[in-house]
Amino acid sequence: MGFTWLDYYELDELFSDEEKMTRNEVRQFMEQEIKPHIIDAFHHEKPLDVRELTLKMGRLGIIGAFIPREYGASGTNYVTYGLICQEAERVDSALRSLIVVESALVMYPIFRFGSEQQKRKWLPLIARGDAIGCFGLTEPNHGSDIASMETVAKRDSDRWIINGTKQWISESSVADFAVVWARTEEGIRGFLVERGTEGFSQSLQSRKGSMRAGDVGELAFSDCRIPADNILPKSAGIGSAFSCLNIARYGISWGVVGAAMDCYETALNYTKERIQFKAPIASFQLVQEKLVKMLIEITKGQLLSYRLGRLMDERKAKPPQISMAKKNNVAMARACAMTARELLGANGISLDYSPIRHMANLEAVYTYEGTDDMHTLILGRDITGISAFEGAKSPKSGNKGD
Amino acid sequence: MHSIVCVKEIPDPETPASAFAIDPIAKRAIPAKDKPPVISPFDEQAVEAALRIKDAKGGKVTVISMGGPTAEKILKHTLAMGADEAVLLSAPEFEDSDSFSTAYVLTQAIKKIGQFDFVFCGRQAGDFDMGQVGSGVAELLGIPSVTLGKKIEPQDGKVRVERAFPDGYEVVEVSMPALITVSNELGEPRYAPLKGIMAAAKKKVPVWNAQEIGADASKIGCTGRHTSMLKLFIPVRESKVELIAGENEEDTANKLALKLREVKLI
Repeated sequence: MGFTWLDYYELDELFSDEEKMTRNEVRQFMEQEIKPHIIDAFHHEKPLDVRELTLKMGRLGIIGAFIPREYGASGTNYVTYGLICQEAERVDSALRSLIVVESALVMYPIFRFGSEQQKRKWLPLIARGDAIGCFGLTEPNHGSDIASMETVAKRDSDRWIINGTKQWISESSVADFAVVWARTEEGIRGFLVERGTEGFSQSLQSRKGSMRAGDVGELAFSDCRIPADNILPKSAGIGSAFSCLNIARYGISWGVVGAAMDCYETALNYTKERIQFKAPIASFQLVQEKLVKMLIEITKGQLLSYRLGRLMDERKAKPPQISMAKKNNVAMARACAMTARELLGANGISLDYSPIRHMANLEAVYTYEGTDDMHTLILGRDITGISAFEGAKSPKSGNKGD
Repeated sequence: MHSIVCVKEIPDPETPASAFAIDPIAKRAIPAKDKPPVISPFDEQAVEAALRIKDAKGGKVTVISMGGPTAEKILKHTLAMGADEAVLLSAPEFEDSDSFSTAYVLTQAIKKIGQFDFVFCGRQAGDFDMGQVGSGVAELLGIPSVTLGKKIEPQDGKVRVERAFPDGYEVVEVSMPALITVSNELGEPRYAPLKGIMAAAKKKVPVWNAQEIGADASKIGCTGRHTSMLKLFIPVRESKVELIAGENEEDTANKLALKLREVKLI
């Protein structure tokens, strides 16, 4: 209730009461219910209890918030979804990942490309937190160049048979089902594969240096036979998968602003209290310069996401505009985390302070959902009309992960 | 069943000591910059108690608050939690009320609302900790009151209330309608779901002034006070360090224990 946030340009005047109330409530929830557990989860690389979390978040209605109410969700606008992401990632990127995966990468593809039966079955379950999904797109050999995916689905009378491997999948080990993208004779299509299906295995990856509080792992399909009805009937080509990624990238652009705000606030409080040379270190010009730079960059990031959110709500946002916000804000948050870590001196390397955890997490965020470089090329193509992706066909070029 | 809940807006109890200030002349707390006021935590639990009865038995929940225009925010929060209606009692004449004049204004508003089965209040306000308003309202309404409720079970025109104590609880039964002050042992208040927030944002919160609740001008605000604030100040906290020395570890521990007993810490 009594929270404030970094709002140097008085953005609060632009948010509706509903948006502000949601932000405050979600922040209180994250602070009280999740933040106390995050350091241990990160330290021991023991994922948060996703099932308990989704049930709690489901009661609040923050999973797939922008999906219409007729499917059991809250039916908010995209700005509200952005604010939810901001408050989640203020605590930890893994938490925001969970919300974005369930909302943009599981519920959205079912809503957009699923049959009415699939929507009625899955969307209310996920919205309530009674079911957890994951999104299988990235592969061991195909990240940015996902259009060359190796996972295949072949039709065999009333079944689809899937073979392949998906890697770096959030909520992989805990998911009740996966939205899986596979190559078919008619192009890339989306499928729903339920836990326990023969030939489908889910595993958790360990020894990560980033997203250590998150459930991240692998999905493997070995002659995995699923009912023909489990195809997402309206999915058509890699563009369908990318449309989900755009909703996720938009959420990330807000989320990382939350991480950056937490780093800034931590650094500001610390430097005002830390005494060196008989004065708070915030009184030194070199420290002030760093704080001010963070403040300016965060404020610019807030404005980008805010405007993008309104464009999303007016159904006018273009994918390159989403790329700009994702690219700018993640790089901004990454720099803020490093600066905050530096301002905390030796204490900056302790997990008792959040910046180093955000710093490690943001390395994953910088790379997933389109690397910083890939978003540069998307923007470059948009302003020049010339695609620089063609070089990717060269056998010498490398993959950069999705 | 119809429950009416009285809530109060207070300075955020999480305000750091360094940001807390008072005006000793006006004898008021100065709101901390960047720390918006909040609903008194015990009052939020009173809302939760009313909502649990609504969940179990049906009916409706009306929330009222006496305060300035900013108190609309806490009322919207209670609407988002699941309350059905809210009313803000706000007028310049209500300022500088004490527990008695506050109880009088709340009572007048409750009488205007009409029929009710319960009035809920927090066990005490989170700022001044008086704990008097609830019982005052019950007295003015002429209904039984039970304080420190941690579990409330209405049945057959009566209500059974578990009253919380540090080392246990007692069970009290009173007739309805009744006023119950709610203690934190009731359990955590619910978060407001997004659908509740969206509905609350659209609801209007009516504002009633002294005339609209038929209040006697001599009984409200500073005129109606039965108490006067003589002094308001931030106590100066002093701390001193005493090093306990001993011949060995055991001797030091013994001396430390004796010292702690001497200052009644153990």
